[in-house]
Amino acid sequence: MNSRVRTAGGLLLALAIIAAAPQLLGKFAVVLLNDIGLATLVVLGLVLVSGVGGAISFGQAAFVGIAAYATAWLTTTQAVSPWLGLAFALLLTCSCAWLIGAMTMRLGGHYLPLSTIAWGLALPLLFGNIDALGSHSGLGNIPPIHLGAWSLDQDRSMFPLIWLLVLGGGWFAVNLLRSRSGRMMRALRGGEVLLASLGADAYRVRLTLFVLAAAYAAVAGWLYAHAYRFVSPTPFSLHASIEYMFMMVVGGTSQLAGAFLGSAVFMGLDDLLKDVMPRISGRGSEISSLIFALIFLLILQRVPRGLGRPLKRLLGQVRTQRPMPAAAELALPRRELPARGSLLLSIDGVVRRFGGLTAVDRVSFDVRAGEIVGLIGPNGAGKSTLFNLITGALPLTDGKVRFLDAPIAGLPQREIALRGIARTFQHVKLRSNMTLLENVALGAHARSQCGLARGGLRLDRDEEARIAGEAMRQLERIGLADRAHDLAGSLPLGTQRLLEIARALAADPVLIVLDEPAAGLRLVEKEGLISLLDTLRAEGMTVLIVEHDMEFVMNLVDRLVVLNFGSKICEGRPDEVRADPQVQAAYLGSDA
Amino acid sequence: MFCRIRPLRTVRSVLVLGLLSAAALAQAADLKVGVILPLSGPVAAQGLSDAKGIKAGMKFQDTVNGHKITVIQLDDASDPSVSARNARKLTDQDHVDVLIGTGGVPGAMAIAAVAHEAKTPLVSFTPLSVTGDAADWAKTTTQSAQTMISAVVGHMKRAGVKTVGYIGFSDSWGDLAYESLKKSADAAGIKIVANERYARSDNSVTGQVLKIMAARPDAVLGGTAGTAGALPYIALRDRGYKGAIYGTHGVLGPEFVRLVGAAGQGLIVPTGPALVGDQLPDSNPSKTITASYRKAYQEVNGEPPSDVFSAYAFDAWLVVARAAAKVPAKLEPGTQAYRAALRDAIAATRDLPATEGVLTYQPGTPYGTDEHSVVIVKLDQSKWVLLP
Amino acid sequence: MNADIALILGADGLAGSAVYLIAGLGLVLIFSVTRVIFVPFGDIAVFAALSLGAMEMGRLPAAIMLIGLFAVIALIMELVELRRDRAWRRLPATLLIWGLAPLLACALAGWATSHGPEGLRVIAAVLLAVPLGPLINRVALQPIAHASVLTLLIAALVLHFLLSGLGLLWFGPEGIRTKASLDGAWVLSEGFSINHQVLLTIAAAFLLAAAFYVGFERTRLGKVLRATASNRTGARLVGIRPRHTALVAHTVAALLAGIVGVLISPVTTIYYDSGLMLGLKAFVAAIIGGLISYPLTALGAVAVGLVESFASFWSGGLKEVIVFGLLIPVLILRSGLTTHADEAEEDEV
Repeated sequence: MNSRVRTAGGLLLALAIIAAAPQLLGKFAVVLLNDIGLATLVVLGLVLVSGVGGAISFGQAAFVGIAAYATAWLTTTQAVSPWLGLAFALLLTCSCAWLIGAMTMRLGGHYLPLSTIAWGLALPLLFGNIDALGSHSGLGNIPPIHLGAWSLDQDRSMFPLIWLLVLGGGWFAVNLLRSRSGRMMRALRGGEVLLASLGADAYRVRLTLFVLAAAYAAVAGWLYAHAYRFVSPTPFSLHASIEYMFMMVVGGTSQLAGAFLGSAVFMGLDDLLKDVMPRISGRGSEISSLIFALIFLLILQRVPRGLGRPLKRLLGQVRTQRPMPAAAELALPRRELPARGSLLLSIDGVVRRFGGLTAVDRVSFDVRAGEIVGLIGPNGAGKSTLFNLITGALPLTDGKVRFLDAPIAGLPQREIALRGIARTFQHVKLRSNMTLLENVALGAHARSQCGLARGGLRLDRDEEARIAGEAMRQLERIGLADRAHDLAGSLPLGTQRLLEIARALAADPVLIVLDEPAAGLRLVEKEGLISLLDTLRAEGMTVLIVEHDMEFVMNLVDRLVVLNFGSKICEGRPDEVRADPQVQAAYLGSDA
Repeated sequence: MFCRIRPLRTVRSVLVLGLLSAAALAQAADLKVGVILPLSGPVAAQGLSDAKGIKAGMKFQDTVNGHKITVIQLDDASDPSVSARNARKLTDQDHVDVLIGTGGVPGAMAIAAVAHEAKTPLVSFTPLSVTGDAADWAKTTTQSAQTMISAVVGHMKRAGVKTVGYIGFSDSWGDLAYESLKKSADAAGIKIVANERYARSDNSVTGQVLKIMAARPDAVLGGTAGTAGALPYIALRDRGYKGAIYGTHGVLGPEFVRLVGAAGQGLIVPTGPALVGDQLPDSNPSKTITASYRKAYQEVNGEPPSDVFSAYAFDAWLVVARAAAKVPAKLEPGTQAYRAALRDAIAATRDLPATEGVLTYQPGTPYGTDEHSVVIVKLDQSKWVLLP
Repeated sequence: MNADIALILGADGLAGSAVYLIAGLGLVLIFSVTRVIFVPFGDIAVFAALSLGAMEMGRLPAAIMLIGLFAVIALIMELVELRRDRAWRRLPATLLIWGLAPLLACALAGWATSHGPEGLRVIAAVLLAVPLGPLINRVALQPIAHASVLTLLIAALVLHFLLSGLGLLWFGPEGIRTKASLDGAWVLSEGFSINHQVLLTIAAAFLLAAAFYVGFERTRLGKVLRATASNRTGARLVGIRPRHTALVAHTVAALLAGIVGVLISPVTTIYYDSGLMLGLKAFVAAIIGGLISYPLTALGAVAVGLVESFASFWSGGLKEVIVFGLLIPVLILRSGLTTHADEAEEDEV
């Protein structure tokens, strides 16, 4: 209630400022603020794609340019309304972004930013060489925007439009990042494997972010064209793209508020220096850009994570995430678990070779519904490799794997995850900057549908409540419900492992595959884990554990499969396996 | 008792202060000139020359009608959006009476739009294409590119050139020069057989030059400026081109001459009278003002002027100063009335001898000079020689 | 397009390739040792060229001021650290590297301005470039060496703007060409000749590429550099100081930059902002080499130079569009050939 009042109050205040400012401020201040607003729009998109999504893009200015030229050309040569120009600009820019992104979003490492430099450089040069676009002299006499009877042909009248769009864009982005799609976007930095294990395609998510960022740039480009009423290639060059990147870094790379902060600081400082320096020295204007670069370097050295974070701390606003309301009655649809004892997973003669080394050599075993199976063996036995083969992280060299009576060998990780196998990781893959609740909610991604649009426009309240409910349920199961809104990075390792299991459970799996869950846990934590897994078994869940810790598995599992040097050497109940001489020899040496 | 004396004292001091400040204010409001130049970025060379010209202008005349002329100079980094923003700042915050600037056509156009809206006169020194009442607020001291190129094409025609190849910058200047060439060449019956472009920062134009030579033109016109303009001429000579070479007035500068070296022998370019001031006949109306310009330039910059950009900038200053002298004395700088009057005075400039020709402004066009102010010069042994 | 034209364009392209090759070597070297995309490489080359030009005109090269300034800052930073670590026995070495060596380079340049044959001036210009690399690294990049890749890249870009701004301030906006080290040209046929300077550049490129290849594979220093590149922590554990390898890498790369600068300044007009394009195109070449392989970088350089040359014939204005547009398919191909470890990155906060 309190936060609602605060939000409403804040919104009213912002609207009041937007309405009053053009009347109160001088003309030049309005122009400067307009420019800051346009930059903020672009940098918002940049924060989304580069800050959150990790795809460093040096080409945003090129998208601004495509949109600006698109609307300029349409409204001057075809004499249509600028609103049609907006539609055209958005369509054209997003299509180009889609094409470019489809080619480049798969690039890894440093190839991606370099590809953005490539088209960030090439596209503006193209504008300058096309006669229909005015070549290097550009297009002028672009008509102003009309809102009913008003003609927005003054900077003062463009100000409210620009800033309303900035507010709207910011609102959309904030909502988006809190939504289902947004959680997955924030998880992008966790790597492809993490996303695949949650049933999402990292490439698609990144491409979506890329096109979204281009859409933001397109709106800014449309506004630019109709505010300045003149377009030429210079403002859309690589230089401009680099400046947007600077603004993002100064503001704090993953902070949405940093978009405004960075733009304001950058452009304000630039303007100030350009104003002040010439009055001090005759060569002032050359020196001003130098001083600007120096200040920038200092900022990078002293505050490498941008100005947004310290400022946020200063304002006492550490919690950006509104806690999600958990509604216990609403629930997400659940899977039918197969009958206890039926054949769930069958591994048949699986082989994996790495060049000359055979890591897994014709291993076969079954896992039946409702049991806990342990996969053990000394170091180097091939347990992790087999694990990766089952979950689809590695392709099989030979053999068959069937799950729920359908072959899964050769399917991508994503597919396998969607069919009902949830996994945890040996090296915990949590998002330390997301809360416990959000991390677990990631697991429920595949069970929900709200996409980009509904997430950004906050039309997903119902589904979000269900997801939150599910996540809370899982958190309660592992006893962390009271810390639901803490950041995951604040947890000790053992608890993090539990959290990962909760995330896996949130996916409502049929089979849950755990990779060394007991590693690094204290005794108390291990006992907690055992009791959790017992409960799961009682509820009909099937668990496959890869583990080292003999004590742990002996008390827990129904059956053990023992590997050594890639082959299965024994299978059976824990006491049978313990007594088996081959197993003893493998662990303890030949004379046992 | 205190209460009665105090107010009297206060009133008195207030009065005295008020009178003093009124006097100070009334003394002479400065005539504020807002200068926008590209001092960094691709056309920085031009901007820095312009700055020197403005300095010469300040030295030449820095008061008019008792008002001191003060300059607020801003850099637009060759970016038209920044030019527009600077113009806004100057008119809105600093309340300048007149704008001067900038180098580079898109930037100048952007400023012209702001000048029109802010009802502040603009005197530029680049080609402008404004018409109608926008042209009332924006004037320029340069000849139009059309005028210059026509003069050159005229020379080509007299020399019997039938085909011409073009190589210019990949920017608005290159576009402008080419457009002008097309118009004049069509009128003169000369065929354009090649239209090549290169970026100012390019290191090699071999490909472009090869294409031009494959078309075997009688003459080649370079639509370039500054030192970056030397490249095509050097490349043409390296490839053994033997035909005539022409250029635009943008290449008039000592660095260009030094750079182009022997490859520029025989290069023919159009220009206003400023550069060859000493070679002008005494009857030429620009001779006196050119001499004053050279003197002032030498004093503030420590060397004689050697390029056209500073001359155009000086002319802009001259126009402003002369026009300001005609504004009725009762009008104070810093007021809308003053700006309107200044605008009228600028637009009424008639037969003003300037370094680059004789300026007469007419309504409906920003240009004040015509073909009579154009002379043809040839580069001979690294010196510019006036051709009759 | 006929055989003659193709030949001329090819020769012209190879001239560009030689430059991109040498620059590419330097970029790959720095990247492989420090994981920094060293954008200011081109600016150091430009400084060397502009310094040579200034010396030829009898003016003291302004780069001396830059070196002096940075040397002072670097010395202060080093001394502060020595005090903190109380490692005073490192003082002589520190003074030598950060104080004496730059001073010598400046002194030589100062002397060569007023006396000296052209050859000495060329050497002085190259030597003037050498301290710039490590100084820039020490002052600007080393303090943020642990920052994210993006921050380092941004810092490198800001450095480029800083250096080119200084170039504009000190050397002015006009371009220069210096006197050729080797005059004349090798006339192969009617209308087709190759400048001796260009031949010198190509020869230098070959030699340097070969030297790099041998150096990295065969010498101990090469192995040390490669070790730091693959695993910084592991290298430290065996006693290699990443700071020293970074110092070596930057010094060698700056030497290359200086050589590039003096090789191209006679045949190309150098401006204060020529560095960016030079660096970017050399980078394209380095990318084709995957940023790790020197022979492939050489191949990449040849490709870039030739594409540029032939593209300029096809359309002068769209030349850059073609060269950089073609980068994208190359990147896609390259990325496809390299298997990327599933790098989970740290969250930016």
